[in-house]
Amino acid sequence: MAPPRPHRLPLLARPWALPVLLALRYGATARKQAFTRLLSWLAMVGIALGVAALILVQAALAGFQALLKGQVLARTPQVEVTVPADADLEAAEASLAAVPGVSSQWRVISGRAWLVTLGRVVPVEVIGYSGSVPPTFPGAAGAEPGLYLSARLARLHGLERGSPVEVISPRPTLTPLGPQPRSIRLPLAGTFEGAASDEGERVALPLAAAERLFAPARPRFEVDAGGLDEAVALAPLIAGALPGAEVRTWREINRGLLFALALEKRITFVAVLLVVIVASLSLVAALSLLIASKKVELGILGTMGAEPRLLLATFLALGALLAGLGTSAGALLGVGLAWLFDATRLITVPGDVFFVRHVPFRLEPMDLAATVGLSLALALGAALYAARRVLLLDPIEAIRR
Amino acid sequence: MSVAISARGLVKGYHDGLRWLEVLRGVDLEIEAGELVAIVGPSGSGKSTLLHLLGALDRPTGGRLEIGGVDPATLSRGQAAAFRNRTLGFVFQFHQLLPDFTALENVMMPGRIARRDPSETLKRARALLEEVGLGDRLDHTPGQLSGGECQRVALCRALALEPPLLLADEPTGNLDPDNGRAVFDLLLDLVQRRGSTAVVVTHNPELAGRCARLFALDHGVLRGASKA
Repeated sequence: MAPPRPHRLPLLARPWALPVLLALRYGATARKQAFTRLLSWLAMVGIALGVAALILVQAALAGFQALLKGQVLARTPQVEVTVPADADLEAAEASLAAVPGVSSQWRVISGRAWLVTLGRVVPVEVIGYSGSVPPTFPGAAGAEPGLYLSARLARLHGLERGSPVEVISPRPTLTPLGPQPRSIRLPLAGTFEGAASDEGERVALPLAAAERLFAPARPRFEVDAGGLDEAVALAPLIAGALPGAEVRTWREINRGLLFALALEKRITFVAVLLVVIVASLSLVAALSLLIASKKVELGILGTMGAEPRLLLATFLALGALLAGLGTSAGALLGVGLAWLFDATRLITVPGDVFFVRHVPFRLEPMDLAATVGLSLALALGAALYAARRVLLLDPIEAIRR
Repeated sequence: MSVAISARGLVKGYHDGLRWLEVLRGVDLEIEAGELVAIVGPSGSGKSTLLHLLGALDRPTGGRLEIGGVDPATLSRGQAAAFRNRTLGFVFQFHQLLPDFTALENVMMPGRIARRDPSETLKRARALLEEVGLGDRLDHTPGQLSGGECQRVALCRALALEPPLLLADEPTGNLDPDNGRAVFDLLLDLVQRRGSTAVVVTHNPELAGRCARLFALDHGVLRGASKA
């Protein structure tokens, strides 16, 4: 006969709920059964890996998307206002200036054109602006009026400040001698930062030059509201002040991109969540096996007056314990790896294909909460599915030998 | 505290796929509160089935049963569980202790199920085990105890909440004669001191003879009761 164990406070003397105590003891004894132990480990490790993978993927996507959004939003006007063709531009400008919250505004004309430098032709999007350079050209915002190119384009073509640049419009001017191309030649005033847009390279030049290139195009207004959220709040006020005008915020302008980014994140989340779902199935197997092996004991508890829901709560608690351990380990691993990868810039990408040289990782509290919450919910669902078998347990069948 | 048992025309039958089998055929039984009765009968006579009905573990197919004024057949599964916890103590032939728990924890279990104070439950369980001479076996699991010791722990567990009714199904059937006699003495002593009603199913005529009344069950019929 084995020697008695040293006396200590019995588990059942602890002032915790009985299902928790039973779950702790069954969890401890399950370790002695090789197959149950293997399945429990598979479930826990699976949940941990799934949660870690979810956190890493979400962090990588969030980092990448934040960078992309930042780049795109930096060159997108916060609010864009297009007044009707018959509207008085001066009056519209005055009304716009009177709207509280409008910190600055520009008249803008844009169109497609060709940039000609040293015999080379580059298709560009031309943006003509009134006043100083608008904030949609980071690095040149607020500078003196003139012709500005992206630093990359200037570098590629060997252009320096003062180099002559010719822009040719696709709209010809009809003359008695036939259609004549419209072109202007301006010295390069400077460069702005930022990658090429979806439409290609951008060129900023004064409004008067753009009017010459694209007449009879009417200018629209671009408004700076002082912030992205402020811009969204400002849009209805502008629409109220300028009846008939089309008012679009950065959200509407980039609706396609923002939708695609959100969709990408959701689809990736669901795809990686499959790992957690598979791990939850292991949890179903582990708990089912444990319940089957404890059938007699559960029947005895039944004869003592343990209600079926107490037994259900026991295996739910055990499932929650395993899921909690797996999820916590996974969350720690995921957060740790995301921080490490970001800090050490471990994962590099070609800078000329993407606009960064490493994958940035950004941990969003909402992503973390969703990952942890959903993983726990899935595991608890799996535990409930497995544990509901105890509701059908008949104490007589269980104790009959 | 004790309860009276009244059964009238108790029938329990089931379909075995081919035919209808009646295990109990109209059992009439009156047991007064605080009485100690024995039920004897050969294997397959329906003793365990009767005990399951008395223990609110099963429902009769016909007839009426009352335990302390309560008809267990009218209770839901949850209510029946609460009724068992409050009213009944079971002792089985094979001690049916929980192998993952120590002797002390096994005796504490009914108290924890009844949501009694854990420290009170601990104190009570320890006192009970010391009362039956197992004070030095508190932290042993059933696997570390002998058959007689296990049955004594099972007895303590059945009486942990001082139930008004004790049901014992061949409590000494798995023990050698000496151990069996010792456990039965203990059972009689504990039950009489607490004044509980007790129904003991046994094969052993000597032990049955020590109960206040004796019922004989044969082929589902309670053939008659005699004063021992």
